[in-house]
Amino acid sequence: MSGYTPDTAHLNAAHPDAAADALGEIRALHRSGRLAAAYPTVQRLLAGLGGADLLAAGRLLARLDPDDVLAAHPAIAAPAIAVTGHGTLSGLVPALSAELARLGLLGRLSLSDFDTWVLDLVDPDSALYAGRPAFVLLLLDPEVIADELPNPWRADDAEQVLAQKVALVERIADVFAATGRGATLVLNTIPLPHELTAQLLDLRERARLGAAWREANARLLRLAGTHPAVATVDLDPLLAAGVAAREPRAAVYAHAHLSDRLLAGFARQVAHLVRGATGGGRKVLALDLDDTVWGGVLGEVGPEGIEVDGGYRGQAFRRFQQVVRQIGAQGVLLAAVSKNDLEPVVAVLREHPGMVLREDDFAAVRADWGPKHRHLTELAAELGLGVDSIVFVDDNPFERGVVRSELPGVAVVEVDDEPALHVSRLLADGWFDVRELTSDDVARPARYRAERARRRLLDTAGSVDDYLRGLDITVTVDPAAPAQLARVSQLTLRTNQFNLNTRRLRPAEVVALAEDPAVQVLTVTSADRFGDNGLVGVVLTRRAGAALHIDDFLLSCRVFARGIEQSVLSAVLRRAHETGAAEVRAAYTRTAKNGKVADFYPQAGFVTLSADEAGAQFRHDLCDLPAAPPHVRLTARFEKDAP
Amino acid sequence: MRTVEDFVTLLRDELALPVTADDLGRDLDTVESWDSVHLLALCTILERETGRSLPFAAVLEAPSLDAVYRLAVRS
Repeated sequence: MSGYTPDTAHLNAAHPDAAADALGEIRALHRSGRLAAAYPTVQRLLAGLGGADLLAAGRLLARLDPDDVLAAHPAIAAPAIAVTGHGTLSGLVPALSAELARLGLLGRLSLSDFDTWVLDLVDPDSALYAGRPAFVLLLLDPEVIADELPNPWRADDAEQVLAQKVALVERIADVFAATGRGATLVLNTIPLPHELTAQLLDLRERARLGAAWREANARLLRLAGTHPAVATVDLDPLLAAGVAAREPRAAVYAHAHLSDRLLAGFARQVAHLVRGATGGGRKVLALDLDDTVWGGVLGEVGPEGIEVDGGYRGQAFRRFQQVVRQIGAQGVLLAAVSKNDLEPVVAVLREHPGMVLREDDFAAVRADWGPKHRHLTELAAELGLGVDSIVFVDDNPFERGVVRSELPGVAVVEVDDEPALHVSRLLADGWFDVRELTSDDVARPARYRAERARRRLLDTAGSVDDYLRGLDITVTVDPAAPAQLARVSQLTLRTNQFNLNTRRLRPAEVVALAEDPAVQVLTVTSADRFGDNGLVGVVLTRRAGAALHIDDFLLSCRVFARGIEQSVLSAVLRRAHETGAAEVRAAYTRTAKNGKVADFYPQAGFVTLSADEAGAQFRHDLCDLPAAPPHVRLTARFEKDAP
Repeated sequence: MRTVEDFVTLLRDELALPVTADDLGRDLDTVESWDSVHLLALCTILERETGRSLPFAAVLEAPSLDAVYRLAVRS
C-alpha cells in the first residue's frame, strides 16, 4: 500500500503479478489512448500499486489533459492545485497525479516557474492567485536556507536565515488568508541534511544549528494552528521511516532538492487533504478477526488458544488492538466482519480476559459464513453510509481480492502473517485523517449505538407515527458560534444526500460567510430520547432587499425523514415573515446523490419558478406558512447573543 | 535493460514517449512530447533497471536519446 515506508515496501512483492498486471493494464490504456475515458477504473488499478510502480503509473497519468478526463467524467472532483517552491518542482507531478487518481480524484495542476514562490504568494495580484487554486503547495526544501548562507558560515548565520525565511512564510500565510478565497496553503517541514549540519565541526555550534532548524519547523507546524487556511505536512515521520531526504546528484545537477520517495510520501498526505476537502471521508474501520485482530483461527483453537495477550505474537496483536481502539476513540466506527459463528465471537469480545477491544467498542459485529463483500454492503446499509466510507483490513488475500473486485469503493488494507507489522500497515495511509476533528466526530460511535436502540423501537412501534412520537425529538436552530464553524464546513463537505445545493465550503469560507452581515449561518442540532445527535444540519440564508434567499440547506443523512427538515424550514419562513421579508427564494441543484430532495421546497408550499435538468428555482410568498410537524419540539433563535 | 529495443520499450512505458528506434538519434528538442525534466526521471529509472550507477551530469547534457542509451550500457 505505502510507497515510502521500508516496512511496507515489500507489500507489493507479495503480489508482484497482480501489481505487474495492474500497471500493464494502465500502460495498455495509455498506449491505446483510452486512459482519460477509463479514468474511474484507474482508481481500482492503482489500489494495489506502490513505490516505483505507482510512480510509473503517475508519469502516464501526468500526461493526461484534465479537460479530456472531465469531458468524459464530469462528476469527478478536480480541484485546481498550484505548486510553487524553491527548486525544480516537476518531480512532484507524477507522484501527485498517482496519489490523487488512487483516491478517485483528478488534479488540475499548475507549476510555477523556478524559484518564484515569494512573488507568487506575497503579491495578491500574482498569476498564482489569479488562477483561483483550491490548494497551493509551497514546497520548502533545505536549499531555501542553504543557498542564503555565506561561505564560510557559522551557526548564527543559519539562525538568521532560518528566522528570516520563517518570518517570510508567516507573512505569506497572512497574505494568503486575505487573498486565497478559501483555498488551502500546504507547507512542509524542512528536512535537515547531514551534508549541512556536518559542515559545522564544533559540536556545540552544530547543536545550535539543529535547535534553530527544529524551531523553524516548529513555527511552520504551529502556523496550521493560527491560520485556518494553512496545513503543514510534517516530513519528519517519513524521514524517520528511512526515506532519504534527497538524491545529491539530482539536487546538485537539476535543483531537485527533495527525493522522489519523499515527494511521494508528501503527495500521499496532500492527496488525503484534498480528499477531505472534496467530501470523500472514510468513517468505518471494518476488521477481519482471525489472524487480524487476534492470532489463530477461533473455530479451530478455541477461545483459550487465540493469541491476544501473552507471548510474542500475542503482544503484537494486543498492540494492534490498542491502536484500533485509539482510532475508534476519534470517531471512526469499528466493525468486525468475520467468517465464524457469531456466538463464540461475541463470547470472546465479552469475556476473554486478554482482549483490549470489547463488544461495546464495535458499532457492528457480523460473524457468519457468508461472503465478506455482502457483509460489508449490509454493514454500510445498517450504518446508513456508503460502502466507499469503509476501510477493510484482512490478512487473507482471497477475502481481500473478493472485496476489491466486488466493492471497488472499499479501501482495502493488507496485513499478513506478521502481526508486528499490522499497525504500520493500518496507518500507512491516512484514510481517516481530517483537517480538524470535531466534537461531533468524537461522539459518532455513541450516536450509532443510540441508533441501534432507535431501530429496536421502530421494530416494536405500531406505526411510523407512533415511532416518531415515541422518539420525542427536539430540534434547535441557532446562529453558528465560532467554535461550530469547523463542523459547519465539515457538514457541507460530507453531506451528499440531503443537500439542496451541495456547495462545498472549506473552513475559511465558512468563517468569511459568518462575518458577512447579510448572511446568517444557522446550525441545526437535534436530540431524542436515545441521545444527542449533535450538530446535524446547516441553513445559510442571505437577505437581499425584501427577499430572503436560502443559499444552502443540508441535513445529515442520519436524521432526515423524522420531520426535522420541515420544522427547520417552517421556522426559517416564519422568521422571514416576522422580519418583514416579502418573499423567500430557494434553489435546488441536482447532483448524482441528492435526487430525493428535489421536491423538498415544493412540498413546503414553494412555487417552482423554473426547472430543468440542472435544478430548479423556487419562491415562497409567505402568505400561507407551512405548519411544523407536531411531534418535533423546536426552539429557534436567530439573533446572536450579545458578545 | 540490455538492447535498444528494451530501451525504446522503457521510454514508451515509463515516460509515455511515443518513440521508435528511429527517433533515438534525433536532437532531443525534436523528439515528440519531450521535456527536459524527463532526463532526470530517466536517470533514476535507468539506474534501477540496469542496477548500475549512471553519470548524471553526462546524461543531463546528452544531445540525443541514443547518447543516453550508450551511457546506460557503457562498459
